[in-house]
Amino acid sequence: MNVPHVITALLVAATLMPLVSSLLIVFFGTRVMKAASGWFATGVMAGGFGCSVYALVLWLGHRPDTICNVLPWIPLPGNDPGWLYLGAMIDGLTVAMMVMVTGISTLVHLYSIGYMAGDKRFERFFAYLSLFTFSMLGIVISNSIMQLFVFWELVGLTSYLLIGFWFEKRGPQLACKKAFVMNRVGDMGFLIGFGILFYKLGGVVLLPAVEGGIFDSVRDLLAAEGYSITNPPMWLTAAGISLFFGAIGKSAQFPLHTWLPDAMEGPTPVSSIVHSATMVAAGVYLTGRIYPILTPGAHLFIATIGLVTLVLAACMALVMTDIKKVLAYSTLSQLGYMILGLGTGSYVFALYHLITHAFFKCCLFQCAGSVIHSAHHQQDMRYYGGLKSKMPITALCYFVCTLAISGASIPYTATGISGFYSKDGIIAGAANYSVAMSAGGWLGGLFMWGPLLVAYLTVFYMARSFALTFLGQPRDKHLHDHAHEVPWTMWLPQVCLAAMAVLTAPMIMGFWQGLIVETNETMIARGVYWVQSVADIHHGEHMIHGPLLHGFGWIVALSAGLLMYRGGMGISSKVVAIPGVNLLYTWAHNKFYFDALYDVFTVGLGKTVAYIVSAIDRYLVDGAVNLAGWVAKLCAALIGVIDSRVVDGAVNGAASAAASGGRLLSTTQAGRVRLYVLMLLTSATVVTLIVVTVTLVSAG
Amino acid sequence: MDAQLLNWMIFAPTIGAALCLLPGVSDQASKKIALLASLVTLGLSVWIAWDYYGGGLEGVQFETACEWIGAINAYYRVGIDGLSLPLVLLTTSLSVLVVLASWNIDKATKAFMALYLFLYTGMLGVFLSLDMFLFYVFFEISLLPMYFLIGVWGGPRKEYAAIKFFLYTLAGSICLLVVMLGLYFLTPFASPDNTTNTWIMATSDPGAVTLQSQTLRSLFSEGGVYWWFAKTAFWLTFIAFAIKLPLAPLHTWLPDAHVEAPTPISMILAGVLLKMGGYALMRITYPFFPDAAKYYWAAVGVIAVFGIIYGALCAMAQTDWKKLVAYSSVSHMGYVALGLAVMTRTAFDGAYYQMIAHGISSAMMFFLVGVVYERAHHRDLSRFGGMWLKWPGYGGWSLVGFFAGMGLPGLCGFIGEIMVLLGTFQAASPGAVGENNVAMVYTLGILSASAVVLTAGYILWMFQRVYLGLERPEYKEYAPVTGREYFVMATLGVAAVVFGLAPVLVFTLTDKTFTSIMASLGVS
Repeated sequence: MNVPHVITALLVAATLMPLVSSLLIVFFGTRVMKAASGWFATGVMAGGFGCSVYALVLWLGHRPDTICNVLPWIPLPGNDPGWLYLGAMIDGLTVAMMVMVTGISTLVHLYSIGYMAGDKRFERFFAYLSLFTFSMLGIVISNSIMQLFVFWELVGLTSYLLIGFWFEKRGPQLACKKAFVMNRVGDMGFLIGFGILFYKLGGVVLLPAVEGGIFDSVRDLLAAEGYSITNPPMWLTAAGISLFFGAIGKSAQFPLHTWLPDAMEGPTPVSSIVHSATMVAAGVYLTGRIYPILTPGAHLFIATIGLVTLVLAACMALVMTDIKKVLAYSTLSQLGYMILGLGTGSYVFALYHLITHAFFKCCLFQCAGSVIHSAHHQQDMRYYGGLKSKMPITALCYFVCTLAISGASIPYTATGISGFYSKDGIIAGAANYSVAMSAGGWLGGLFMWGPLLVAYLTVFYMARSFALTFLGQPRDKHLHDHAHEVPWTMWLPQVCLAAMAVLTAPMIMGFWQGLIVETNETMIARGVYWVQSVADIHHGEHMIHGPLLHGFGWIVALSAGLLMYRGGMGISSKVVAIPGVNLLYTWAHNKFYFDALYDVFTVGLGKTVAYIVSAIDRYLVDGAVNLAGWVAKLCAALIGVIDSRVVDGAVNGAASAAASGGRLLSTTQAGRVRLYVLMLLTSATVVTLIVVTVTLVSAG
Repeated sequence: MDAQLLNWMIFAPTIGAALCLLPGVSDQASKKIALLASLVTLGLSVWIAWDYYGGGLEGVQFETACEWIGAINAYYRVGIDGLSLPLVLLTTSLSVLVVLASWNIDKATKAFMALYLFLYTGMLGVFLSLDMFLFYVFFEISLLPMYFLIGVWGGPRKEYAAIKFFLYTLAGSICLLVVMLGLYFLTPFASPDNTTNTWIMATSDPGAVTLQSQTLRSLFSEGGVYWWFAKTAFWLTFIAFAIKLPLAPLHTWLPDAHVEAPTPISMILAGVLLKMGGYALMRITYPFFPDAAKYYWAAVGVIAVFGIIYGALCAMAQTDWKKLVAYSSVSHMGYVALGLAVMTRTAFDGAYYQMIAHGISSAMMFFLVGVVYERAHHRDLSRFGGMWLKWPGYGGWSLVGFFAGMGLPGLCGFIGEIMVLLGTFQAASPGAVGENNVAMVYTLGILSASAVVLTAGYILWMFQRVYLGLERPEYKEYAPVTGREYFVMATLGVAAVVFGLAPVLVFTLTDKTFTSIMASLGVS
């Protein structure tokens, strides 16, 4: 058995299976499969998950080298190599991501069977969901920047369809458009970065993990030009930052973050998959894939974007009362952590956090979806309270995942839930980076204190959402009376995901982190690039844990959150009334006015410019054309008059016998034919004049 | 026999046109004749393509040359090569769909079909002439039927639109005529032993002096005797073909012509007639005056990028659905001009692919608009909504058509755009035109990349206003979408997917011809 071939076949099959099921549902869903579409799609997805798990087992058993298969796609004669390639590149990270994405997608499919039951476009939802998963898997298995971009855009399309699934309503219509357009702003950066790399590397666009890929080409080019990654040329920094702009769009980082909370307009299963395994994960994954070509300047840029995002988003999550909005902003904040982690060089922990976060965030959204489902689509937490007794399974799952996102650990030990390991590593890495940066002034310190404080803020706002929803007394009796535990198709995925939130910890399922470490080491082995080693980061943890009560911090924050919001918003309304605090509250509550700003300065300005340009087109450009036509007509009329009065008059005077013939002639001549010829000549003259002017100007 | 195949293909539609006009042929029969003629032509074109493939895909094949007007050395010279073949196939395939799309024309049907078939011959003639005089004749011939098709079967302002289209293009033709005369009288200076004036653009005869041969071009090269002529002629031909393309600001005939033209005529206008401009730039302007093209590359690039952004902004501001699609053509054709301007192989291939892809996607978009217009009798974007609920199947194909226009990967519009964009950045490489002006290359690249946002903006906004939301009460009266209409949509939709997935389908045919063109341009 040729193991690499089998692994490739399995993962390619896992990638293509959802595409096939999606197409089958599109063409046969409404007529043949009907309600069975949901189970069909779920079954196919589970098959894909099975393939991925089998590939994982083979991978762990044999530990092959990076596998890369190429499929020539767009011919590029005159370049080396002469093609833009598609294909499959498989290394440890790919395998881990494949298992995570197919697993989560299967559970989301299963959950959707319950959640979407009775929807009039039930079949189509599964077609979109499968297509969405296919697009994400295409990104994960990419071997080249080209393929990344192709599937990148398909993720954009399918998210457009899913967010706008209930397109009868105005909210989803606007949200899906906003998501797509803001993503395209990021894509513009991606394209520019792609263009720069393409021009510099002459068509070599395979990913760094492949022999002869971007990494090798860049390294050789730098060496040839007398540069190095720490002393890079401008274009490399520019290319890195441009490509990262794509990630800013997809992973909803500041300043392109505003689409993600709006995307809550989609059905909740969509939120649960968008916020965990797909789409937002794509940006982080991309950054992880182009990692070796990022220069120190690009690193600083990335780290700063991550830092700003994680702080702003946590503040907003703190004041939202819509349960999905809280979770949406917490996603933004956690993505900020990952991006910060990549920027500060903790490659392993950033991507590990991507995986741990996917499980617990998917679970949190599904729990929120279950609550909303049983609460007559009320999403405002102020109307909840005391749901713990009605929905015990959901409450338990939500609590476990709250602990996971909080990074809970047993004090005085290095033992905790999955989120503890990944987030702790990121913070430690950031602390190391901060020490290195503090040579540049106090601003460097922000890289340590920012993520650290926000970690406790995270615990607090998650405890707040848990307490408001599940604890205390019911605040809306009617709603509470009707609440009920959800059917098994919905609670089973929640339980699986909550279990994974515990199990992905390194001492239980060590392979998650192990696979990423393996990828990291492969790349390090192939040349020097800047990354903090795992050992260094562990060293950094001592800096943080010493002063922070050896892990008591999260317990304090959790208790504070639970106690403060157990009885509803009473205490917090007193707190936000304090002058100063109320100002901050208002800012955060209004999402720091980003939406308003964009509405005025980009959307408004864009439309205004469009209207102005269109008016110029209509009145100036086309006006000039019409004027030319009008002038020609006027000349024709004048000449017609001269012809009939002067020329023809003379003829008249000379010989009356010829007069009738002359008049006959003049009518034809003053008619259309002459008019056309004149217009023609006028236009030709104008054109010639323009040409001569242009020639003179450009020659002179 | 082989050579005759090509002539049969060019004139099969004319024979069909003559049959349509025979007395005693009913309206219904004329439609069938038109369909048959276009199917026969399609069959012949596929046969020719197959033979061309078998013939090694190289050089000019199926060449016919016979003297036509001896006094001015004009020949009837036609032949096919990699530059013309894909466009011919596009024309012949699209024509079948266009005939199907005109099935509901009930005003003077016979005349409509005859004029359309006559136009068809004109279009094929433009792509297949190898003699410049003949090219000019076909270029003009294609105008006349179009003038009547818009002017008689068009909308409320049809006369205005038709005459504007005609005069505008004719103004361009005059620029071309000036250059033709210049070339004709200057050819004898190419070498002492050459005394004949020539019109040959390309030929399979290796010994013949053509207008793009090395000896002639040395006259027009930088520092050559007629360098001044080359610079002027470059712009004159550029303007002639940029009007046809159309490139902003020479585009204002297009929105009017499209808005007034009946649906099938819009399809052929956007799908094929615009491509004559791009084709002629690749056949005449660039190969004849490569040094002038290199000299002015930045100016052309700036105009092209201006066109891309300008067209997209205008599209965004439209309230007339068809006008929006028309302006999207202006924007998309800007990529063709940009791909030529930067003169890299990648961009050149991309520009060509963009023409094929736009031929599919714009025809599809105009057809999609037409389906609704035929029932609603208006195109006001503010009065639609919920079309996806009304007709889910139609909505699905619309998604394919409009997203192909937007350049979504996996659909045809993407390949051309990405290749032009990548090729633009490549223009900064050593030996390319932008080697000493890297800042300009980056500016062009970044600005053309920014257009993806604008394109997404106007397409999605339109999509929201027409397809999303709730159905309107007046939709109840609309007749259901017919099987014939679904056939046209599905064919174009499938083509959009196929050409989005398999660009080799086109590039296999063009590769060798393009290699020789790029070599003659003196860039890699």
